[in-house]
Amino acid sequence: MFQPISVISKRTFCKNKGRNLVAVTAIVLTTLMFTTLFVLSRSIDKNIVEMTFRQTGYDTQVSFKSITAEQADRIASHPEVAEVGNSLVAGLVEDTRVAGRQVEVRWADESYAAHSFALPVTGRMPRSMDEIALDTIVLDRLGVAHELGAQVTFQWMADFVSKELITSTFTLCGFWEGNESGYASMAWVGEEFAEAAVESAGRANPEEMIGLRMAQVSLYSDSDIEGTMERILSELRMDGLEYAVNLAYSPEMNRMAMQESLPMYVGMVLVFLAGYLIIYNIFQISVTADIQFYGKLKTLGATKRQLKKLIYGQAWRLCVIGIPLGLILGYVLGVVLVPVLISFRTGNASASPVIFIGATVFAVLTVLVSCMRPAKMAAKVSPMEALRYSDVEDGGRRRKKRQGSASLTALAWSNLGRNRKRTVIIICSLVLGLTLMSCFYAKNVSFDMEKYLAGLTVADYQIDEITNEAYMTGYEPQGDSLDEQLVGLVESIDGLEETGHLYSHETEIVLDGQTVENIREFYTGERLDAWAAYDPSGVESMKKALENKKASSVVYGIDGIPLDVYSEEAYWENGSFDEALFATGGYVLAIGPGMEPGIQKQSMPTVSVGDSVTIEGREYTVMAVLNNLQPVTEGATEGGPQDTFYLNFIMPAETFRECWPDNTLRKLYFNVEDGKIEEAQEKLDAYFGETGLTLPVTSRQSMARQYERETRAGAVMGNAISVVVALVGILNFANSMVTSIIARKKEFAMIQSVGMTKSQLCKLLVTEGLAYAGLTLIVTYALSTLAVGVGVRAMVEGGFSTFRFTLLPLVLCTPVLVGIAILVPYLCFRNIEKDSLVERLRWSD
Amino acid sequence: MEVIVKATGLKKYYGEGEALVKALDGVDLEIERGKFTAIVGTSGSGKSTLLNMLGGLDVPSEGSVRIGNQELSKLSAEQATIFRRKQIGFIFQNYNLVPVLTVWENIIFPISLDNRKPDKKFIMKIVKLLGLENKLDSFPTQLSGGQQQRVAIARALSTKPSIILADEPTGNLDSGTSDDVVSLLKMTSSQFHQTIVMITHNPEIAACADRVIRIEDGRLAYVSANICD
Repeated sequence: MFQPISVISKRTFCKNKGRNLVAVTAIVLTTLMFTTLFVLSRSIDKNIVEMTFRQTGYDTQVSFKSITAEQADRIASHPEVAEVGNSLVAGLVEDTRVAGRQVEVRWADESYAAHSFALPVTGRMPRSMDEIALDTIVLDRLGVAHELGAQVTFQWMADFVSKELITSTFTLCGFWEGNESGYASMAWVGEEFAEAAVESAGRANPEEMIGLRMAQVSLYSDSDIEGTMERILSELRMDGLEYAVNLAYSPEMNRMAMQESLPMYVGMVLVFLAGYLIIYNIFQISVTADIQFYGKLKTLGATKRQLKKLIYGQAWRLCVIGIPLGLILGYVLGVVLVPVLISFRTGNASASPVIFIGATVFAVLTVLVSCMRPAKMAAKVSPMEALRYSDVEDGGRRRKKRQGSASLTALAWSNLGRNRKRTVIIICSLVLGLTLMSCFYAKNVSFDMEKYLAGLTVADYQIDEITNEAYMTGYEPQGDSLDEQLVGLVESIDGLEETGHLYSHETEIVLDGQTVENIREFYTGERLDAWAAYDPSGVESMKKALENKKASSVVYGIDGIPLDVYSEEAYWENGSFDEALFATGGYVLAIGPGMEPGIQKQSMPTVSVGDSVTIEGREYTVMAVLNNLQPVTEGATEGGPQDTFYLNFIMPAETFRECWPDNTLRKLYFNVEDGKIEEAQEKLDAYFGETGLTLPVTSRQSMARQYERETRAGAVMGNAISVVVALVGILNFANSMVTSIIARKKEFAMIQSVGMTKSQLCKLLVTEGLAYAGLTLIVTYALSTLAVGVGVRAMVEGGFSTFRFTLLPLVLCTPVLVGIAILVPYLCFRNIEKDSLVERLRWSD
Repeated sequence: MEVIVKATGLKKYYGEGEALVKALDGVDLEIERGKFTAIVGTSGSGKSTLLNMLGGLDVPSEGSVRIGNQELSKLSAEQATIFRRKQIGFIFQNYNLVPVLTVWENIIFPISLDNRKPDKKFIMKIVKLLGLENKLDSFPTQLSGGQQQRVAIARALSTKPSIILADEPTGNLDSGTSDDVVSLLKMTSSQFHQTIVMITHNPEIAACADRVIRIEDGRLAYVSANICD
């Protein structure tokens, strides 16, 4: 059957190629941005969760650290439980070749291994006494080829009391790609082997990890995991059995993912706004131009609904062309950008259907919302009005006519005022993009890399002892990895400017009354609550320390670069640092809690300045309390994680070595001339390559690079959005100029027929364009000045930024905008001048 | 005779104060079924306004129009539109064909808007009478003015309306074509027992009407019965 509305819709669509091209371009750009934003936000969500899984080492909702085989079986039988994986810890690998990496000797079933990202990809899990499955990290460290059947020999420990080392040889029966971000590697052994090892060692200490039977429980539902577990345990009469909920499933995780994606959501709102402004404008213009046509249809009997259907039909057609194209381009852009933007190792683009559905829904919504008003306008047309319609808004508030002035400029201005709503929309569209661009640019240039790096590094290079960050097993103060040979090598580096050394020693100190008072005063109210919220055991240990008047203490001996840094006043919390006096050896510097520099100075929770503290029998006077500087204090404590409260001190390296001559160098700092940095890096790489030992090296260069990687997402996305929004604005501007001139073709012919010359008409049109550009620029400059000067300044305050006021992108865009404002009307003028005056006078639809 | 259109006290005022224009100033009119009525008058006398009121395109300031048993003022804008496409056939001076539709599609346009199936046999009969059978797949721009107006006549007839309103249908045509179009209009309407109200400037055409209504300054000047030769 003949469907008049869809036929008209289809055929008029084909007739308006130019207008459709502009509309489709706008829709493609809008959809593209939506898709890219969706890809990014989904990928960020996915990667955050995955990263957390990898860090916690498993991906089930719940884990049990200590459970019996019988309890695990009972839990597995519960209807709300999907799967239970079991594992038995037999020991830890204690082999110099894997130093710095925790390798756990365990038996596990397939479920446990799979949910721990440690299921052999090649081969299988071990079954017999002499089989083993390992990841590639451990295989590489042990120097074993990635081949099934290879012989693997290492030393390990099954008993932490006797610390007896066992040497065992296994046959490799399976391996998989290791996960560097995991806290430990697994060495899977057969069940029999593990049970025998646990039995022979016996479990002297129930707190100890060895001999524990662990389980990972998958539930069918992710919601209210704790409630579900409580219910399951009470139904099985196992109340009180301790379990842990995977951090990746905690609500904080969602909040974090939400926070990470927040800029994306803001971006979506902006894209929606930009899309609305242009698509609305295109439809508004086209409906206005065709209003007589709609009037005609209405005369012939088309109802409001049918006319709306006609407009929406056009919109759908545009969507059908523009959206798939936008989806494809947006996805490609997303896939290309994700690895660039997401810094995580596992960073890969999500291909979830949610992206495409979401982007489509948003794009369609934008288009539909945009044509709501134009459709209403077309539907409302009265057949009578359609016959006398001209492109002027209704409304009685027309200003009093200017007296006597009919200059071209005045005419151009009054032409802008003829459709004030449209003028406002075009200006909004341009202002939005340009202001965004200015803001992003100003924010990016305000970032101060030096400020940022100052908190992370104090030297061009910092080399740590290999156990510096061995958080599980603890720092070894007499480790020998940072040896004379390496120090000698560094000292021979060409262009070496200065060096610095750090030693550390862990001990216990007695707290005097004043210190106890200081700590108590500092940790009160909000600060205490905040601490308790993320680290309740830390608060407990502080309270215990205050009660016993005893605290642990890490004493650092430093010289060179880090000590020079502390001579800057910005790092002093209480008191002041006098280098000469400090060098005498009778003084120590106390380290305050980690706080951002610049916060008001107040009494720190440690020994007061001027009081004395006794460290292993020697008395020192506290000279000053300093900021906690990460490059100095970062690292593991001795002997692994302990629930104790620490008060740390710094003394001169010389004094330190008198007290503890056996302690070896923990950190080595050095600065190199700018031009010699690459050379120094090569020298270090060569050394590590030769010795096969890789020490943690932090270089200023690599930190800067890492920061750029981590923040590229925001920077690129922000710039991309503002550029696209600005492009959309320019497209909108050009489109409106062109259509408004074409619509007035007849009118121009009329004023020409009464005496306006060609050059006057051309001047009129160009003046109109310039008036648009001028208005836009005035508003944009005003708004950008405000947004950058107030908004961006407030945003970057306190961060690693030095605010610099700049409107550079706007200044660069100004000639472009003015150029377009002149060029577009000029080209239009040339185009309409092609027809003769008489032809144009006669011209009708 | 059955009265198909009845207008009572029709008034249409535009503007206010000194700028007040009385386009229609109290018109009472009855039109009988099957009759051909011509409306004549000078430019700006209110002919078109009267016709638009009769067709429900425009709303009177005062007074009422009844077509058949339907009081037009009682209809909402939407209902009026639907009533119009079912009950009234329009023929305009500028034809008002939809440029993107073919001749056939233009003819069945009002029926299709109403979601009805066109009576093909009936419409083909009209098409043949109007000599359009070879032009059905053409677009309006490919037709001459006379042909376009014949398409408009076919469109007006196709819905079997209660009344056909024609606003200077020959105003854009040369005299030869005008005669053709008018005689075709007369012929088809008598064949299909149609009621026609037509505005014209052409005294010859007016002379052919069953009745001539003259309008001056928004009022009926005289109504006369004619006998066409």
